[in-house]
Amino acid sequence: MDKLILGRYIPGDSIVHRLDPRSKLLAMFVFISIIFWANNLITNIILFSFTVIAILLSKVKLGFFIRGVRPMIGLILFTTFFQMFFIQGGTIIFEFGFLRITDYSLGQAVMIFIRFVLIIFFSTLLTLTTTPLSLSDAVESLLTPLKPFKVPVHEIGLMLSLSLRFVPTLMDDTTRIMNAQRARGVDFGEGNIIQKVKSVIPILIPLFASSLKRADALATAMESRGYQGGDGRTKYRLLHWGLKDSLLMLTLLGLTVALFLLKST
Amino acid sequence: MGITLQNVNFTYQKGTPFEGRALFDINLAIENKQFTAVIGHTGSGKSTIMQLLNGLHVPTEGMVVVDDITIAPDSKTKDIKSVRKKVGLVFQFPESQLFEETVLKDVAFGPQNFGVSEEKAEEIAKEKLKLVGITEELFEKNPFELSGGQMRRVAIAGILAMEPNVLVLDEPTAGLDPKGRRELMSLFKQLHKSGMSIVLVTHLMDDVANFADYVYVLQEGKIVLKGKPTDVFQQVDFLENIQLGVPKITKFAHNLTKRGLKIEKLPITIAEFVEVVING
Repeated sequence: MDKLILGRYIPGDSIVHRLDPRSKLLAMFVFISIIFWANNLITNIILFSFTVIAILLSKVKLGFFIRGVRPMIGLILFTTFFQMFFIQGGTIIFEFGFLRITDYSLGQAVMIFIRFVLIIFFSTLLTLTTTPLSLSDAVESLLTPLKPFKVPVHEIGLMLSLSLRFVPTLMDDTTRIMNAQRARGVDFGEGNIIQKVKSVIPILIPLFASSLKRADALATAMESRGYQGGDGRTKYRLLHWGLKDSLLMLTLLGLTVALFLLKST
Repeated sequence: MGITLQNVNFTYQKGTPFEGRALFDINLAIENKQFTAVIGHTGSGKSTIMQLLNGLHVPTEGMVVVDDITIAPDSKTKDIKSVRKKVGLVFQFPESQLFEETVLKDVAFGPQNFGVSEEKAEEIAKEKLKLVGITEELFEKNPFELSGGQMRRVAIAGILAMEPNVLVLDEPTAGLDPKGRRELMSLFKQLHKSGMSIVLVTHLMDDVANFADYVYVLQEGKIVLKGKPTDVFQQVDFLENIQLGVPKITKFAHNLTKRGLKIEKLPITIAEFVEVVING
């Protein structure tokens, strides 16, 4: 689990770190949506350079992102190979039995690969430079327009920030319980599938039990501090939409227009 | 026999930006049938050392030798599993590791993992439960119905059931009331008398003074002081400087010497103090 980079935050002080989390979140949504328009060389180059510039601005090491892709490389390659072998059309370059690679399928496969990598790079960039708490503030703030439609915006925000707050705690709990059970002679990840599944029980039950206990204690502590739901609460952490956020949005607008015009139909 | 750590270094998550060095060149020996205490501030590497002792962590450099088994940086889990049976680890708040339907089954879980038959394991479990002071009517109860103190006893019985030679305890009395604390400590003393080596990780100096034969003082991943408790606790100023302190009675005697009382060697237990005052 230590190798998973996605979803972790590295404290830093760069222009990307200082952006408003709302603009970063919106930027990611827009970026991932328009990534599917990029279907020729020029559009891919534009997207790629945009990502690299964003990474450079964040001052996080590039090797770090590459390492972040590593746990998912198997899945990406799997999909890529399927694209390569099973898409029809175009001139045949190589044929062996039912496997056939054409210039068209090769291009598609490369595109899929690039899309995956860019999506992972960009979402890693978001989580590496934004604290989980400000991310959940951003979600709450972005969902506010849905309030008249009876969407429980405050509750969603609260649950999100509580869950994010407890992810590391639960991870610590898991490691602690796993180590304690290992010390009692449990081998995790060994033996056949049934043994493997069985060895999960000594982690899951204590983990559930401690989560329930934690939830109970937390609810009591919140109530005793006067929590009565979202109505009438003020905010301690305020989000500030600055000039650089507007600039980011403009850049993305430009990127969207450019991609729309340059994509091949 | 015993456990030795030879030039052990340990780094968490080596090779990532989250890399953190926990131990620097640790040399430590735990002799057979000795009551060893490891003290240090929060984050000084006590718990890391504890997990090195039974192969949960493998050293980044150097080696750990348990009896005739060597744990080196490239050791595989398969080769060191037998170490886990020899060295029983009681983690902080061990009650959080209970999971079976009944108390008895939970205690019997450990030995069964090392190949002991179910009947034999339950037999051992009953014996160990009685040893830690859990009465028979609780054996078939669900562990989650017990009180906090009872749960901790059951958890400790679960480790004792593996019949380890060395018992490693990480702050075993944290969060207990004074009575529970005294009872547990006297249980460990009794186990020690019956021939078990005990390693106690704690920051209660009074426990160290009362029970330990040998003590290691850790600071920021390095051993800064070691020796018999009587010798170590003479360094009142040094220990207070690194915010560990000394037993209450030692501090009291130290204050008395400042006001002119002549004491050759600072006492570390109340009994010693009484003797010093009467004879000196």
